[in-house]
This record gives sequence, structure tokens and C-alpha cells, in this order.
Amino acid sequence: MFCRLATITMLLVGLSGFAGQQATSSTLYQRLGGEAGIHDIVTHFLINVADDPRIVGYFAHTNIDHLADSLEQYLCELSDGPCTYEGPSMARAHQHMGLTDASFNALVDNLQRALMDQKIDVGARNALLGRLAPQYSDVMRDQ
Amino acid sequence: MTSCQKIWVLLAGMCWLAATSPALAGSRLAGTGGVMAIEGASGGGLSPWGVLAGTASDIDIGVTVGATRADVDDYHLVVSGMAVNFYDRLELSLANQRLALDTLGGHQAQDIYGAKLRLFGDVLYRPWGIWSLGVQHKQLVEGRELARAVGARNTSGNDVYLAGSKLFFDAVAGRNLLVNTTLRSTTANQGGLLGFGGDRNDHRELMVESSVGLFLNPDWLVGVEYRQKPDNLSFAREDGWRDVYVAWLINKHVSLTGALLDLGSIAGIERQRGGYLSLQLSL
Repeated sequence: MFCRLATITMLLVGLSGFAGQQATSSTLYQRLGGEAGIHDIVTHFLINVADDPRIVGYFAHTNIDHLADSLEQYLCELSDGPCTYEGPSMARAHQHMGLTDASFNALVDNLQRALMDQKIDVGARNALLGRLAPQYSDVMRDQ
Repeated sequence: MTSCQKIWVLLAGMCWLAATSPALAGSRLAGTGGVMAIEGASGGGLSPWGVLAGTASDIDIGVTVGATRADVDDYHLVVSGMAVNFYDRLELSLANQRLALDTLGGHQAQDIYGAKLRLFGDVLYRPWGIWSLGVQHKQLVEGRELARAVGARNTSGNDVYLAGSKLFFDAVAGRNLLVNTTLRSTTANQGGLLGFGGDRNDHRELMVESSVGLFLNPDWLVGVEYRQKPDNLSFAREDGWRDVYVAWLINKHVSLTGALLDLGSIAGIERQRGGYLSLQLSL
């Protein structure tokens, strides 16, 4: 009985997964909605950040328009889109900001909510988070 | 003072500590602390994982309390526990387990004092995941005579474990997969509820515990767990424990876990199967 239940559970998990899965032949960039999609994600993300007292202070002296453009370019390249990110490295961009793990987590939290609010497909959402996660080491290098 | 009273006194103390510390509660993402396992440490239902309790991050202190009930054919287990996570570096936990021998009659109860130190890593951001070293001091407080009568050598013991956890993004059908492995050095019989060491074997042994879970979305985790156990007593065979679980992370502060258990043979009664329900609150 136990094994059968386990099998059924895994089967249900599999089915629920494949039902929400889009064609995997397209690039992550396309699955995020291309240029317009990434623009909306970044806009929502920055609105979430602006509303987040845990981290909004880090952006007190930031040119938000410039940050938004740079972020769109970065996500475009990261998701295999037709862009080349021309900004500084993640280590350089974040050095000596006094970031904590807590602030990094808050940022990820805000991005995840933006992706969910934009109804980005679960696979594309997790794929993007998965490509961003390893950047932690660079972002936190010189704090 | 009973174990239960001790837990409440400790809880009150920890709440005061948490309330007076500058940063309260966690900023780690929901689900990255697992749930409270039956021995009080954070993990799955049956095993401690590499992650530390709740969502406390490097500037936070977090307090987690949990209540669990497991019902199998001839026994039921009630667990109350709490864990405090200091800056996502050190977790201290306390649990009281009370096993009712529904068919045989009587009770076994033990207190478990746990500490888990995060050695390195992070479950989400580091390629090798998160690795922690833990100890659990277990003391039988009821049923010591029975433990001795069935051949146990001691009524208290210490488990030492190394646990690693890693989340793989977009791993199965676009979902994130959480993988945990624990190596435990122990002499405990049925987790300690039937004492420690035995007439057949009185030495420490290294046991493997493992689980995989799939996040259907950020709020729902389903998975399977397995925990290997020693077989020290000649009066009755001891099997590994396994389960299929579903955890619902209602929000960052509340989670509910249900599982179907297969605990094998316990104290001579074969095929102990049933269900498990655990409620957890985190500050």
C-alpha cells in the first residue's frame, strides 16, 4: 500500500508539473515575455523594493531609471535574450554597500513576488531564480 | 518541573529574548527552514536537515514551536518542541516525545536537547548547499524499566549528525527539488524510546537518513523520507522508518505537515503504519 501511495503521489506531482509546463524549445527570455515581459518584471520588482522598509534604504542615492535599464539589460542577457549587459560586474556593482544575507533574501523575495504577480510560468520563474542564485557569491564578496 | 513546563518556561524566556532583540523573525524565504522534525531540530518529519529552524537570517533570532501527533496501528506518539535559531548559525532545540503503547499498555517518554551548528553554505545560493553539524542529547524520563527489560544498556544517549541540504531550481517539471542527506552516529533504539545500546550491539553505528521534496509552488512541498536505524535488541527486530509527506507553508509563520508513515516493526509488532500531523509556528 505504501509503495502504491508513493507512486500515486509522484505521478500526481508529475502531472501537475507537466500541465503547467510550456514548450521548452523557447528561450528563457521568450518564456519571460521578451523585452516587454522583462520590462514589466523589473518595474514590479522595483515597486516592491520601494515598498519594502527592510531594503529601500540601500537605494536612497540610486538613479532608479538607470537601475531599471541596467537591470533589464542584465536579465535579458542572463535569460539568453538578444542583449549584452554593459554594466559593472555583480561584485563591483554591490561592493561596500553593507549588504546582509537578510537584505539579499529580501531582494529575492521581492523578485519572486514580482514574477508571481506577472503570472510568469512556474518553470520560467524557477529557471530565472536558479540562474540568479549563484550570483550571491559575487554580490556578497566585498561587503 | 515536568518536561512540558520546562518547554513553556523556555518558550517564555525565548519570546522575551526575541522581543528585546533588535531584529525579530526572519528574512529567509519561506520553506528554507524546513519543518520541525520529531526530535525538535528543523528538518523533515523524521530527520534533521542541514537548514536551521524558521526563517532567521544573519541579523535575526527566530523562535519556532511545534506540536506533532503520529498514529500507527499499535502506538501513538505525541511530540512538543521548540527551537531557537540564532543568526542562522546556531539552532538550539528542546523536544518532549511521549509514546503510548496502545496495544501493549503503558508509556515511554523522552526529552531531547539539541544543538545544530551551520558549518557553511546556503540551501539556495551555494553550489554545495548548506551543511550543519548537530548533537542530540536524549534522556528517557518514563519507561526506563521497560527499556532495560528488553535489553537496552542505557536510558540516555547522544546522537551526533552531519546534515546537508540543497535546493535545485527548475529541476523536475519546472519545480524546485529539495534534497537532504543526514549521517547520524547513534546507539538509540527506536529513536531512544526503547533506550540506547542493546544485548545484540552496544556500539555506535553510522546511519543514513535521506529525503527528497518537490516544491509544487512556494507554499506546497511534497516528498518522501527514509531513516535507517540500528538493530541493537535481540528481543525484537528494528526497521528503518519511511514516509510520504505534504507540507503546507501557510505563511512565513505557520506550517502544517501531514505524512503517511511506515515505521516497520516496533517492539515485536510488525507493520506499523499510519498517519502524522504536525503544526508549526515561527516568530
